[in-house]
Amino acid sequence: MTTENDHRSDAAHSGPAPLPSSGQVGGPTAPGTRRTGATEPAHGSSSLRVGQIGLLEVIIAAVVVAVVITGATTSRFFSLDNARAILASAATVGITAVGATLIMIVGSAVSLAIAQTATVAAMVFLSTQQLGLGVAIVLAVLAGLGLTAVQGAAVGYWSANPIVLTIASGFAVGGLATWISGGSTIYPKVKAYSSLNATPLGVPVAVYVLAGVALVAQWVLRRTTAGRQMYLIGENSAAARAAGLPVGRVTAVAWALFGVCIAVSGIFLASFNMSATSSLSGTLTLDATAAVLVGGTAIAGGKGSALRTLCGVVLIALISDLLLLRGFSTGQQLLVKGILVLFVVIVVHLSSSRGRR
Amino acid sequence: MRRLLTRPETLVPAVSLVVVVAIFICAPPVTGADLTRFDVYNALQGFAPLGLLTLGLGITMIAGEFDLSVVGTYALGGMVAVETGQSSALLGVAAAVAVGAAIGAIQGGLIAKLKIPSLPVTLATYIALLGLTSALSGGLSKTYTNPGATFWVDKTVVTVFSPRSLITLAAFVAAALVLGLTKIGRELRAIGGDRRASRVAGVRVDRNLVGLFTVSGTLAALAGALLSYSYASANPDPGLQPLVLAVVAALLGGVSLTGGRGLPFGLLAGALSVALLAQVAAITSLPDYATQLLYAGLLVVVLGIDAPGLRQAIDRLLARSRARTSLLADASNQAGSVSDGTTGLS
Amino acid sequence: MTGSVNTEPKSVARAAISDLSRSFAGIPAVRDVSFEVQAGEIHAICGHNGAGKSTVVKMLSGQLAPDSGEIRIDGAPVELHSRQTAQRLGVALVDQELSVVPALTVLDNMLLGDLAAPVINRRRGAVARCREVLDDIGLDHIQPGQPLSSLSIGERQLVEVARALNQNARLVILDEPTATLSDRESQRVFAGVRRVVARGCSVVYVSHRLSEVLELCDTVTVLRDGMLIATTPAKELTVDQLIRQMLGEAPRRLAAARAPDSNPTHALRIESLHVPDRLDDFTLTAQAGRIYALAGQLGSGTTDVLRALVGLHPQATGRVELRDRAVPFRDPVRATAAGIAFVSNDRKSEGLFLGATVAANLIATRLPTLGRAGVISGRRARQAARTLAELSGLGDRRVAEPVLALSGGNQQKVFVGRCLGRDDVFALLLDEPTRGVDVGGRAAIHQLLRDAADAGMIVLFSSTELDELLELGDVIIPMRAGRVVGRYEGGVDGAVLLRDMTHGEDAA
Repeated sequence: MTTENDHRSDAAHSGPAPLPSSGQVGGPTAPGTRRTGATEPAHGSSSLRVGQIGLLEVIIAAVVVAVVITGATTSRFFSLDNARAILASAATVGITAVGATLIMIVGSAVSLAIAQTATVAAMVFLSTQQLGLGVAIVLAVLAGLGLTAVQGAAVGYWSANPIVLTIASGFAVGGLATWISGGSTIYPKVKAYSSLNATPLGVPVAVYVLAGVALVAQWVLRRTTAGRQMYLIGENSAAARAAGLPVGRVTAVAWALFGVCIAVSGIFLASFNMSATSSLSGTLTLDATAAVLVGGTAIAGGKGSALRTLCGVVLIALISDLLLLRGFSTGQQLLVKGILVLFVVIVVHLSSSRGRR
Repeated sequence: MRRLLTRPETLVPAVSLVVVVAIFICAPPVTGADLTRFDVYNALQGFAPLGLLTLGLGITMIAGEFDLSVVGTYALGGMVAVETGQSSALLGVAAAVAVGAAIGAIQGGLIAKLKIPSLPVTLATYIALLGLTSALSGGLSKTYTNPGATFWVDKTVVTVFSPRSLITLAAFVAAALVLGLTKIGRELRAIGGDRRASRVAGVRVDRNLVGLFTVSGTLAALAGALLSYSYASANPDPGLQPLVLAVVAALLGGVSLTGGRGLPFGLLAGALSVALLAQVAAITSLPDYATQLLYAGLLVVVLGIDAPGLRQAIDRLLARSRARTSLLADASNQAGSVSDGTTGLS
Repeated sequence: MTGSVNTEPKSVARAAISDLSRSFAGIPAVRDVSFEVQAGEIHAICGHNGAGKSTVVKMLSGQLAPDSGEIRIDGAPVELHSRQTAQRLGVALVDQELSVVPALTVLDNMLLGDLAAPVINRRRGAVARCREVLDDIGLDHIQPGQPLSSLSIGERQLVEVARALNQNARLVILDEPTATLSDRESQRVFAGVRRVVARGCSVVYVSHRLSEVLELCDTVTVLRDGMLIATTPAKELTVDQLIRQMLGEAPRRLAAARAPDSNPTHALRIESLHVPDRLDDFTLTAQAGRIYALAGQLGSGTTDVLRALVGLHPQATGRVELRDRAVPFRDPVRATAAGIAFVSNDRKSEGLFLGATVAANLIATRLPTLGRAGVISGRRARQAARTLAELSGLGDRRVAEPVLALSGGNQQKVFVGRCLGRDDVFALLLDEPTRGVDVGGRAAIHQLLRDAADAGMIVLFSSTELDELLELGDVIIPMRAGRVVGRYEGGVDGAVLLRDMTHGEDAA
């Protein structure tokens, strides 16, 4: 008996539209290996391997070095105050970004309803201040979780298209926000949230929460059944289904955790602003998504980690702050951010496609 | 004729438009407002930029891609037009269109040559373009001081039209002609319907993709340029709203989420539907959240039609009910010969 | 009955293949194959698995370059770099992966990719030409303006043939065109093929349906083990002679009756499993300790049995019981939870997680057992991966490697190994368990399956390879056209088995 090579057919790019649909890994998968534990799954590491160091790591290292050098020549950069400022601005976006990493890993790409969901959570939080800080937090988190879990179920069980689904949800949730607030600003009756604005050791509470959330998310991804199944489902949902993995349930769980993160961000936004309008969360959607992408998580799913996203968040914050201190305008910072995202996306894609059969 | 009406790419936009026009005509009197020709003019003014965005986004969706950056090009086009067109409006538009085309071509090239899915590329470009636009203007809106042009783009033509809405209509007609009368139309639908098969059949996929994104960039930039002339200022951040409305319009226009389906005149109907709905909301002072919920509802319906998992779930339910009825039939037959190794030989 | 042969005097063959050879990684797949196809001839290529048929087809259609040898079209030597080049030179391939687009109309599909087509459509002329070609191949009831999605698979295949003709193809290669078609559809394809050759075009017809081949084709070329055995006019051959050419020394299996598991409740009972258009009333009781083999070619329903059992055919009906408990087989999650494990025939897109390591793949389906309350113990995960790697014959040094870097055989070991060593998997279903695997790997996988069966697992597999069926199957069940056509528990002659799989009176 002779064997024959499988013929290389064109990548299954038949109408992927906004999203690699189930079964078609319309995007990159990487043969990454991690030389830590012998059996550690390879997710979270990038791939274009030169020896043991990936191209992405090399580039990021180069960028960091550049940043440090530039920073050294910028006044006020290496000051404690500055560090605090960087971290604070990154925190709110970062918390959402960690959640967004989960849905990207499980293969749902992006959600365009982040800002609206955070706003609703913020409004719920402020409206229930009189019930006590703990209760208000729980209610806000439940609100966020509920809104996203439904979407996650639709995506997981019925393979609904996430882009359109989250656009629709954005409308619905945005409408909900307007309805709750009656079109005006919500002011809290009681200031139970003020402890959230504290700065123990000079660092805002939000930063500690970000660190905690990232660690928890990383743990969930690596050490729980659901987390590992998220990687598998995002990598190849057809194989996951054929193997009997609970695709619907795990996707819904990923989205639910995502909702929790969004709600927490909303809570902090509400505390900082001490009021909430429909436009509270502004650019959160794009900021969070950009942070996830810069961290090196593949938009096609199956790869990534919360720690990477944390790096992405910090990197973006570092660069923005650096540019700001050097006198660049917000617009210019945004331009640099966009180019950075594009660059990382291309590198991530190229380095994983190389390994493809 | 009947076949024309039963295909989703003609049926969906036709139904949407008919329903919306009915709402447009009936709703204002019901709520006590008056429907005037001015309202139609206003609706068409809203249609003018939305239509171009919808057309650009729509043709990328027909080919199975998704150009998220149209809003970025839209903002940039507006800014470039205002910056360079202070004395000569035409120059401004030309510059904006050139920039839009260049951006589109670059994106198309990346997507085609590097085989990167369009979503992350266009998302990144969107962010970069917003930044560029803001950087150009220092983060502020830039005023356009050419009252001649500002007046001209919005002057009434045949009572309800204006040069802006007519230009948009002309773009749709041109697209319909090109896609309908040349091979580009079928190639785009083939690329969206089954990319692998198209390549095997000999379609020049890469070339088509580059051209596609170039066109969508051009249309977006044109829309932005004309709009900033109309407002006499360029806004560096229009938000995600224009994109979202364009997506709704494209879906109502009969475009399928997975590509391979869609017609320019369908997109036209979709864009008109959304523009009319917006105007109805304004006339009847519909509260914001109601309009948003309405759009959400429309999208959910479209989603439901297109979700493959839903169809599978329905299949399973049907199979189960079939099995149950046949089981009842068996039980009453008392067939009873359970296999113990025998096979079902006919 | 033979097809009509164009009787015009022809000095130059439409296609002449001389000494074509091709190897993969040093292993020859095709060795010095030579034959000729005349103008207007229907020329069949037959051979069992691994005979080299698909390699020859790929070389002829431009997808593979031969290592040596020559291809001449109408006397002129050609270099076929790609399918598009081949199409331009008049050679078109129509295979299982249709390259017509369902979203387009019939007319659009016919014009698609035609380099000679003008940029601006000349609609009237194009419609008329399309109509002409459709009528020519017998699709007179189809309108050019119809969406392709409204056509049956057989009709779509013919549209693809029509497209080739429209683009002046001189040689059309049909690769298993009737494998998944009903009889009525197959007849339509035959009629179409006959009309195609009446126009002077030649057809190369690759099929395992031997009775069809003899009915339709003028000449039959048989390959075995990469070499040409014979090229014979069809009217001089019978099915049995054809099978003898294909198999050479017909392999035979000696009866090695294996006693079933003494516990009769350890059985998989399938009753009246039915999948619309694919599988008709399949019934079987599979006992633990024995390996059941479903023998059938593409389209026979063997794959559909397995897929239906694990929930990948949502419209399947029937009754399935495993160890006396009903199996909710319409949902993959619940079927798997009930103890059924499935190894599909496409490990790359529906089996392995190519971006992950061997270890991650091995433990992918047993994650909940590696810890408590959803938390995975790293130690147990590593342990499990190592144990499985040993069990599957991979050796635990390879667990950290990316699964993409493994050979086909080793990848398959990972895929199969993933299902082993679990006390909650009772039935193992495999679709083509050694597809794309070399001889050594195949022996290893067969041993894995034998060991699993001996340990009490119910093993049910489907295959198109005689050797594998005879070696591995304790009970062999040939299937054709969605139905079971026999059952062998003792010794069986390979030729007889092949006959069952490929020839017979199919129900009208």
